[in-house]
Amino acid sequence: MRTPIKKIAIILISGSLLMISLTFDGCKASQMVSNKTGAQLWSENCQRCHNTPSPNSFSPEQWETVGLHMQSRSLITDEERNKIVAFLKQ
Amino acid sequence: MRQSQTLIKWMIFPLGFLISTNIARAQQTTTVDSALLERVSALEQQVANQKQGESHFMVAGLATFGFVANTTTTTSGGKIKTNSFPDMDHFEFSPLFLWRHGSKFLLEFEPSFDGTSLGVNWADVSYFVAPGLILRAGYLVTPFGTYSKRLAAGWIDKLPTDPTGVADYPPTTDFGFEAEGGFPIGSMKWNYDISLTNGLQLLPDGELQSAGVVDNNKNKTVTARLGLLPISNSSLEIGISGMFGTVGDANSPYENAKSQSYAADLNYVKLFNPILVNIKGQYNYTFVNSQNYINPLDLSVYTFDNKTTSGFAQVSIRPTGAGVTFVKNLELAFRYGKYVTPEKSLWGQKSDIIDISLDYWLTWRTVFKIGYQSDKSTSTAIENTGEEAKSESLFIQFAIQL
Repeated sequence: MRTPIKKIAIILISGSLLMISLTFDGCKASQMVSNKTGAQLWSENCQRCHNTPSPNSFSPEQWETVGLHMQSRSLITDEERNKIVAFLKQ
Repeated sequence: MRQSQTLIKWMIFPLGFLISTNIARAQQTTTVDSALLERVSALEQQVANQKQGESHFMVAGLATFGFVANTTTTTSGGKIKTNSFPDMDHFEFSPLFLWRHGSKFLLEFEPSFDGTSLGVNWADVSYFVAPGLILRAGYLVTPFGTYSKRLAAGWIDKLPTDPTGVADYPPTTDFGFEAEGGFPIGSMKWNYDISLTNGLQLLPDGELQSAGVVDNNKNKTVTARLGLLPISNSSLEIGISGMFGTVGDANSPYENAKSQSYAADLNYVKLFNPILVNIKGQYNYTFVNSQNYINPLDLSVYTFDNKTTSGFAQVSIRPTGAGVTFVKNLELAFRYGKYVTPEKSLWGQKSDIIDISLDYWLTWRTVFKIGYQSDKSTSTAIENTGEEAKSESLFIQFAIQL
């Protein structure tokens, strides 16, 4: 039986190596994904958990705040969050 | 000479008139300009007073309430009927306070009233460090599966109830630290979420509960989830989670007790025009290594295989492409759940739960649900083994995100 510290170390090191390897591998989106508009990303990502929100639901400043909150729940990428929030602020 | 004097007089008069007229005009213009300037200055001050600061505060949150009628029949002959507006498991009023400091910091605080007590769902601070890295500290939802963190809110859940056991076992709100983020990989995406928290506490009867703000031992619990979205339109997400920690109190007979929990989750949402299909599922497994427990009824020592499993599979359909608005706003949801607690424990049971609900979406974040639940359970507890119970419930529920 491994000790908890060993287990934690293994998990942390494995996770870090995975992150580093993926980062060095250039975690890049394909051209098709990069070209997606905010409206498209809004329709694809929000509905994974709930109905797609109406842009009129919040003010532009509120959308900035809601965007951060939602990113921390859904773990969308920063680029996706920025595009979705820009679309919802219009 | 006289003629030239007369000419000068005649020239002086119009010239004087012209000069005096221009002076008057100039004075008028100056008066108008200064009034305009004052107006512009006032407007500038007004704009300056209203300019956006780098901090922003807002209140969101949710409320859920309704009616539940229940009939429970047991093989020992008991039959109990209840109804209420509603019971504590189906009432919630939770304002969510969000403070944003620039574009990097977010403070979240969600108190919650469930009808009997005022608690806190989470209270944490997030730091958006860099693309793909969010750090969080405080009282947070640990990344075990996705139901507790993403799907439990009444205005998100398609059914009036939480899937039994999935949302609350093992407990997934804890004090600690978390790192998370999402990355693209070509046309796919992946995300990670890892937390280090005080962890769980093993009670003398064998149950697990959250240790709370003061840890019960020196070891911390690691919880981690990896998610993958293999399709470019993000319609499918699959995830695996693990939670590992020492759960026994320090300097107690349980100081070497450890728990291991694993979860697998799936989420698939796709429009097959005109029907939006939504499939979700999660399976939880929790195990505590072998221990001797104390029966609180007679203080005798007993032991059992401390293993708990729970899970659900859910499908809902909504005709979002229908021409009629009323039909477009309807959604039909079905869920099968299973919950198995440790055999020969004080609370051992096997439950099969079926939920069905017809929802009407008043807005994208406001829903009215009429649901039915059937819960058939068989006791595997150290006492009353084999006793069966059937519970049927009718729910009428309204949920809103504020």
